[in-house]
Amino acid sequence: MEVSETLAHHILDHDFGVMFGTLHLPITTHTVTMFCISIVLLVLGLLMARQGKGVFSRLMHTLGEEYVAFMRDGIVVPGMGVEGKTFVSYFCTLFLFILVSNLVGLIPQMKTITSNIAITGGLALCSGALIVYCGIKFHGVWGFIKSFVPGGTPWWLVPLLFPLEVVSLLIRVCVLAIRLFANMISGHMVLLSLLLIVFIIGQLSKLAGVGTALPAMGLEIAMTLLELLVAFLQAYVFTLLTSIYAGLVIHSH
Amino acid sequence: MRFGPFTPQDQLTVTSLGLEFAVAVALGTGCGFWADRRFETLPWLTVLGMFAGFALGMYILIKEARKMARQAAPSKDEKKDGSL
Repeated sequence: MEVSETLAHHILDHDFGVMFGTLHLPITTHTVTMFCISIVLLVLGLLMARQGKGVFSRLMHTLGEEYVAFMRDGIVVPGMGVEGKTFVSYFCTLFLFILVSNLVGLIPQMKTITSNIAITGGLALCSGALIVYCGIKFHGVWGFIKSFVPGGTPWWLVPLLFPLEVVSLLIRVCVLAIRLFANMISGHMVLLSLLLIVFIIGQLSKLAGVGTALPAMGLEIAMTLLELLVAFLQAYVFTLLTSIYAGLVIHSH
Repeated sequence: MRFGPFTPQDQLTVTSLGLEFAVAVALGTGCGFWADRRFETLPWLTVLGMFAGFALGMYILIKEARKMARQAAPSKDEKKDGSL
């Protein structure tokens, strides 16, 4: 198998879909992983919400409270202001889903679903919908449309500025998706490439291959630790940027 | 001119600008290429789309820079004190 094929095999999605007549139901490794993550998070959320008397139950409840407090005071309120408190639940879900999706890829035989542009695009569309909803909720439909044009703009510039501002918003949503996707896929490509170096050099000379194994493994460990950091960082960045963009729409006047 | 102190929100907004610029150019070029293939005018609409994307990217950059300059400008109280 070629190097590019090996990389593609380990990173890209695989379709095991079934056909119902002419209807194709795509069951892919990424969708299965996504559903598994959703179920795990649902169970985790229920455990956190339950108020039992056992040590485990109290621990989970405290963890949940700390997590929600961090999201509210560290991400939502600084980005959106106090108006954003009603959306804390969305941000809690978003952060945890992205974090677990990023981390799952570090488990052997599992796939990072956030290295699929369709999934990051879906997440970004949800955030885009939240931004638009915030604008309509706090300013009304007409007020939201008017907020696209900066105050004091001459009337003859409005037809030029309005499309620019609308496309700017679309670009921000695209940037959310691309940033997460690019960071996750590039990290995994580097990890795999480092591993493949050993086999590529081993094909040329077995002795050189053995000699490369140790430095390659060292780099692999370092990169895995970096990936761990990136997994947390990207989840934080995605949620914080969503709150900032929503905050810009809320406080546009 | 005084800059900062910057919050994590400010830093994140600034680091996004590069990607926003790149996406603006890519989006313009992509739309131009799509229109070129549809109307069989290759390569004129692609070039036009690229320039339009570049202009949009510059608009985003300048808008953000102006916003930051407004934030960095000294307030009226600071002017009275003569401090920076």
